Amino acid sequence: MAHLTFKKGVHPPSHKSFTERRPIERMPVGDALSVPLTQHLGVPATPVVRKGDRVEVGDLLGDASKLISARIHSPAAGTVKRIVDQPLPGGKLAQYVEITVDREATEQHTFSETDVDLGAITREQILETMRTAGVVGMGGATFPTDVKFSPMPDKSFDVLVINGAECEPYLTCDHRVMVEETEALMDGCRLLHKTYGFKAIYIAIEANKPDAINAFEDVVAVYSDLPIKVASLTTKYPQGAEKTLIRTVTGRIIPTGKLPLDVGAVVCNVQTLFAIYEAVHFGKPVIERVVTVSGAGIESPKNIRAMIGTPLDRLVEYCGGITESVNKVVAGGPMTGMALPTLDYSVSKGSSGFLFLTNADVEIESPCIKCGRCVAVCPMNLMPLKLAAFSRAGRFSEAQRLAVNSCFECGSCSFVCPAKINIVAYVRHAKHHIRVHGSREDKR
Amino acid sequence: MSAKVGGFVLTSSPHIFGKTSTPRIMMTVMVALAPAVVMSMAYFGVRVALLYALSATVAMATEAVTKMARQQDWRSIGDGSAALTGVLLVMTLPPSISPLLVALASAFSIFIGKEVFGGLGANIFNPALVGRAFLSAAYPVAMTQYSPPRSLFAFLGQSPDAVSQATPLAAARFEGITTSWMDLFFGQVGGSIGETSTAALLIGGVILLWFRVINWRLVVAYLGTVFVLVGIAHLTDPDQYPPALFHLLSGGLVLAAFFMVTDMVTSPDTDLGVVILGVGAGLIVITIRLFGGFPEGVMYSILLMNAATPIINRYTDTRPFGSIPQKGQ
Repeated sequence: MAHLTFKKGVHPPSHKSFTERRPIERMPVGDALSVPLTQHLGVPATPVVRKGDRVEVGDLLGDASKLISARIHSPAAGTVKRIVDQPLPGGKLAQYVEITVDREATEQHTFSETDVDLGAITREQILETMRTAGVVGMGGATFPTDVKFSPMPDKSFDVLVINGAECEPYLTCDHRVMVEETEALMDGCRLLHKTYGFKAIYIAIEANKPDAINAFEDVVAVYSDLPIKVASLTTKYPQGAEKTLIRTVTGRIIPTGKLPLDVGAVVCNVQTLFAIYEAVHFGKPVIERVVTVSGAGIESPKNIRAMIGTPLDRLVEYCGGITESVNKVVAGGPMTGMALPTLDYSVSKGSSGFLFLTNADVEIESPCIKCGRCVAVCPMNLMPLKLAAFSRAGRFSEAQRLAVNSCFECGSCSFVCPAKINIVAYVRHAKHHIRVHGSREDKR
Repeated sequence: MSAKVGGFVLTSSPHIFGKTSTPRIMMTVMVALAPAVVMSMAYFGVRVALLYALSATVAMATEAVTKMARQQDWRSIGDGSAALTGVLLVMTLPPSISPLLVALASAFSIFIGKEVFGGLGANIFNPALVGRAFLSAAYPVAMTQYSPPRSLFAFLGQSPDAVSQATPLAAARFEGITTSWMDLFFGQVGGSIGETSTAALLIGGVILLWFRVINWRLVVAYLGTVFVLVGIAHLTDPDQYPPALFHLLSGGLVLAAFFMVTDMVTSPDTDLGVVILGVGAGLIVITIRLFGGFPEGVMYSILLMNAATPIINRYTDTRPFGSIPQKGQ
């Protein structure tokens, strides 16, 4: 079978064999949760509970205060212990609702089928369900899904791309969800198709997940009412990046500075689709997700269905602990994830994985030898070596002229750089400066 | 559970890296040069082995001293780039060149050709060719006396005779004498130390292309331009202009195509840029060889185009994804 692909990109070692054949395990209910109220792009949720309040499974902890925000629900029954400020991965402070869990009540709670007439469900109902359930993009970007699926009056989309590429090394959570929840995902596609009437739905999966591709191929015939195709993609990083993915499967090119919507496409991550399915069928808010816990530094790597707010040290404990040789902990994938200073973090809606790396070096930068490898791999066809040089020199208007804001920080350039220059870090610096000060105020 | 709960390495993403590194690239180029270096010793005696060692040592010492004077880390010589410049320099010099001149040119290459610009990555001109250009200007006689190669099986004998012999290019240009194809291909001809054995250089070129150290588009653009235009010249007037293949096999063209014009620091950053550089350098080679006052034009073709690299880079940036507004749909 010919696989679809994009131009350029890199081939990092996959490291997926740690967990790709491990079925998802549901983690036992723990004693405590620490649920951040910032788990999405946009305005943080406003707390609606207070210290000492009793909460049940699915109760609202934080409400969406503005249009671009998302509701946060309690994954467990219990008591609000306190609300504290703690850092998110990356260092920004956020409010965390700490819950002392009532294990018995939590274990007894189940979500039952809703009485929604699935045959007559409307677009407004689906959007309202997404909003109520606090669904956000679970591939990591965490953009509120109801906003994504509400096109401006003058725009519309006719193509849906389900993103199951999972091109980041180590991560296998989406892979396992695709294999184990194939029909739920197809039902999710049907829901969206009924309300949006897509011309085409693509399920995009990298070729290194043949079991997931086969699982969908096997059931596509059953869903003959859907214009659905399984798109098998070459295994190459960053295959799952939104802009290049849309071009790869639909041929449409998103102009610089525009959104998928501008070319009539919408991309939805596998676990986001699963969350939509659960919200509509069971009225279940986003209170858990599948995370991959992996790396050479964890005793038994796993794919875990964990409650939002599960403390990282509990995940580690459940996976048998970390080895003494661990010297780097990463939230997310190794190409775009964030390094964590301690284990004092918890699972959030965007947590695709936690990695425990054992021989992470601190690379010392040497002079750029203009080899052009970064240019040869940049999926956005940028000039990474120039962006880094201009950023370092404080010439931000030059960086902007070279479309620094088109960079989505996939890390391919830093990955291949023989001089070990962290080009992505320089790019972030330039983007930040332009965002805060504008490009005209170049450093002199 | 482990007692270890903190003190982890904190860096910005990505957290995994490819195996390529600058020293590794320099080492690959050294390995690719090895066949030609061995052949040069076979043709011109063990004497040239000493020249290679001398030149590489002086190059590294010059870099170390310069770095120390500028209060920078002298251990940068460990990246192998200075040693590589030293070796490449020797390959471009006549076999009978004196060790003193080699040392002088090597120091000049590194100091003027590289360090005054700011060191590795900051130089505009190919450092080895800067050294050679210096000798050509300052010691023109020593730079135009080419001792003949010895027979392949006598390479352990005495030092080369001081008798000079015209290089195939000079012989063709000024005396109308042609050289056998086999001699040209295997290098049993007069010429600079490392340039004569096309066969050995091709092996090295394949290594560089295989490991993607050099851009094939640049090699093709450079050699292709020379081949096509000289071929046209030969077809229009076979008596005055030798065949195109002769031009490819003689002089320093193949050495330059794989090891010099392709130097990453001094060549453009994009595929389009390197093609412009290659075509431009090819045109200069032809102009000098066919119409100029010298039999050989490779050195100037590269140095002149090196000077154009910054402006080529300015106008050949890649077009960012999505920068072409999409029609319809």
